[in-house]
Amino acid sequence: MRALVVLAIVLAMAFATVLALIARPAAAVERNFAGSAMADYHLAPANHSSRSTAFDGFTTELALKAAIDVSDRFSASVKVCYGCHGFELPMAHLDYRFGTAVSLRVGRFSPSLGAFNLRHDPANHRLSSKPLIYDMGRMLRMREWNLGVLPSPFPDNGAELSGTHWIGETVQVDWAAYAVSGFKSDAQGIDLDWQRSRTPDAYYVDNNHRPAVGARVVVTTKLGETSDLTFGVSAQHGSPDAASKLRYTFFGGDLTLRIRRTNVRVEYLGRRQTFETSDPTQLAYRVAGARGDFFVKQGLYAEIEQPLSGAVDLVLRYDFLSRNGNVQAGSPLSHRSAIHRGTVGFTYAIERGLRLKASTETWHFTDEDHRGRQQAVGFHLGLVGTF
Amino acid sequence: MIRLVSRALVVLLAAVVGCSGARRVDGLDPSSLPPDLRADYEVFAHRCSKCHTLARPLDSGITNDQFWRIYVTRMQRMPGSGISDSDVARILRFLRHYSAEQRAKKAAS
Repeated sequence: MRALVVLAIVLAMAFATVLALIARPAAAVERNFAGSAMADYHLAPANHSSRSTAFDGFTTELALKAAIDVSDRFSASVKVCYGCHGFELPMAHLDYRFGTAVSLRVGRFSPSLGAFNLRHDPANHRLSSKPLIYDMGRMLRMREWNLGVLPSPFPDNGAELSGTHWIGETVQVDWAAYAVSGFKSDAQGIDLDWQRSRTPDAYYVDNNHRPAVGARVVVTTKLGETSDLTFGVSAQHGSPDAASKLRYTFFGGDLTLRIRRTNVRVEYLGRRQTFETSDPTQLAYRVAGARGDFFVKQGLYAEIEQPLSGAVDLVLRYDFLSRNGNVQAGSPLSHRSAIHRGTVGFTYAIERGLRLKASTETWHFTDEDHRGRQQAVGFHLGLVGTF
Repeated sequence: MIRLVSRALVVLLAAVVGCSGARRVDGLDPSSLPPDLRADYEVFAHRCSKCHTLARPLDSGITNDQFWRIYVTRMQRMPGSGISDSDVARILRFLRHYSAEQRAKKAAS
């Protein structure tokens, strides 16, 4: 272990030395400040059981970002955001580009996993709510479900190597491979602890020595001057507990078709999660042999964004989320639970950079709530601005 | 209650679609650009709206051509950007024109 640490320090020093030697003097330091803010009202009418487990009412999200291009090769970005859980630091990283094809990112950032995260800022996606697999607090029954498969964004500390290659003028191949701290959980926790994974209370320090590793490959084909097709696959594997006994693995695929101003997106994301089974009283079901120590949470969304006029976009989305496997004792979920959600929404551009968002969601749960209901509806009305 | 809210949303949608007409709010009206730049603008609008709204670059207040060169090259490396080398040249041609217009407006004011 000590040899590994020494090797890591030597490599880091060597890298810093190489950077200092090959970095060109900055012609000019250019700064770009940007931000966004969204206020959203979520109405879940006559659904008292959901009200105790959903943020219905007003929520506000705010983000401020500074990006600095120190030279052609070297840039830095810092982003501060405010949401339901206070101020966060989702981005503070350095980027260094080797030649024209390969880049290194070091610091705090959301690693390359899935397609949606690039658009997670509320100014960059058309509906108030995120896809269910990436939900971070706007879903009904969010406590029972512990949010989506992977709440987005998911900033972490580490390093990512990435590359972009073109085959002719029509095919773009992107790849990324990274090592980050990884998500966290208690030794006895049956699921990942999202709050503990992102909280600064632990000084953004990892709870174990084993980094999580992951990769993503994306292929984009230009079908025409204003149309393209993008296909991506991603995975991440890590250990969430301090003793590094438990494991999680994310896996996903995504497809995006753009024809002029119409966007069609389909994305799948799954997570296999192991948990501790030494205390059966913590679990709702008897552990079934060697395959009883994990659950699989997975889902997908399909959506279409269609401009209706120069200022109005229509958005239709279908979400599916399921969880198969043992649950914590007392959980209202069963060993096979699922959610279907349909969303109809539209955005109205009041002026460039300022949009009204309105949407209606219909929910179907395979599990009944304490009143025996499986259906619910929700409405969102929000205003989002970029500056 | 649910029906009421649903009907209100439909009426609101019909009203905004009807009132918005064909004006293009998100980006620029291509007919306001010199004819030889309209195709470049379409490439800019298509490629740069994949991950964010066009308000980001258009309202950034940046009018430095050197900045845009570095910035667009960085955006080209975003996964799935679809920004080829020839697209970079066309996007920068539009941004140079747009920046010059913005500088002229600032000077006039």
